[in-house]
Amino acid sequence: MADLLVPLAQATDLTPVTDAGKAIALGVGAGLGSIGAGIGIGFIFGKEIESVARQPEMKDELQAIRWLGFALTEAVAFYTFIFGLIAFFLS
Amino acid sequence: MKTRTKVLIGLGAYLALAVVLGVIFGNAGKNDEFKPQNEFKLDAWIPIKVGGIDLSINRAVFYLLLATGLTIATMVWISRRMQQKPNRVQTAVEVAYDLTRTNIAGSNMDASMATRWFPFVATLFFFIWFSNIIGFLPLPTNTENEIHVFGLTLPTLAIYAATANVSVPLALTLVVWISYNVQGIRSKGFFPYFASWLPPGLENMNPLGKAFIFVIEAISQFARLISLSVRLFANILAGHLLLLFMGGGLAVLLGLAALGVLTFPLAFFFLVLELGLIATLQAFIFATLTAIYLGGATAKSH
Repeated sequence: MADLLVPLAQATDLTPVTDAGKAIALGVGAGLGSIGAGIGIGFIFGKEIESVARQPEMKDELQAIRWLGFALTEAVAFYTFIFGLIAFFLS
Repeated sequence: MKTRTKVLIGLGAYLALAVVLGVIFGNAGKNDEFKPQNEFKLDAWIPIKVGGIDLSINRAVFYLLLATGLTIATMVWISRRMQQKPNRVQTAVEVAYDLTRTNIAGSNMDASMATRWFPFVATLFFFIWFSNIIGFLPLPTNTENEIHVFGLTLPTLAIYAATANVSVPLALTLVVWISYNVQGIRSKGFFPYFASWLPPGLENMNPLGKAFIFVIEAISQFARLISLSVRLFANILAGHLLLLFMGGGLAVLLGLAALGVLTFPLAFFFLVLELGLIATLQAFIFATLTAIYLGGATAKSH
């Protein structure tokens, strides 16, 4: 796997150390952001399943709220991803 | 033959194809010519400069006009040929109309506000939806790499979306942000509106604490500008980047042809996910949050 990642880091024509820092910023930043969002999305769907199991008649109302919560949480991962891209390409 | 055996044989053949391609083509070394960020570069097609401001017609403007035109054309076309017994297209549009009317506008604002702002919210929904959907159709817009067919020079196919550029969601967000603040000030009055930013239950607090909480609430109001625009922009951009890298970009960048075999099914999976879920969901979220903000700005008490 390592010999796959090294050319990606060298894709921009800057010094290797800066490149390494940028690749770490993108990878670690976006990766850590995904952890939080992943936990959050799991929580939303888990709680929704739990609620529907308790009160099946609420299913339709919960569906809209579930998608809203899913999209709001999922966006958090993308914020870190965008900051990672800014670190990788624009700095 | 058992189903499990068939599945295992299929998987084995697929992995063998990747290994065979890896052995034949090997590692061509990293590719410095291919710059993935150029997929999102905007070349001016018709340069227009007005007093130092760049107003050139480029790919983003083209996609913006396309989405606008498609939204207007579809809705006008559907409304002109309404039938008693709706066909499939009319049913789909009616479902979307009902979704924006009852689920998005109706359930987040009170009745008079919903009637007043439903056209705005529905327009946002349909415009963003069309913009997201045509973003996943390959259109001949890549003027950086051209293809020569029968003596004609044509741009190659590329995917791009107006909403994958931060300017468009930001402009939409600014419109939403100004509208809900103006609507709040109009329905409550200038000072009562800003006083209503404070959460209820702080009546006995001293003024210093109230001021501190007001500052936090004001920051959260301004953070809506960032969160609403970046949510839409980053979702669509990340979808396009995933498609770009999985659909061959990674294989080209690393010079590993065999990797393309492994990533291409992922690209198909992501395309289905983006088209089926993310494109509609992001339009729905943007419209719903607009309705929530408008409803919150005019609600009598929080």
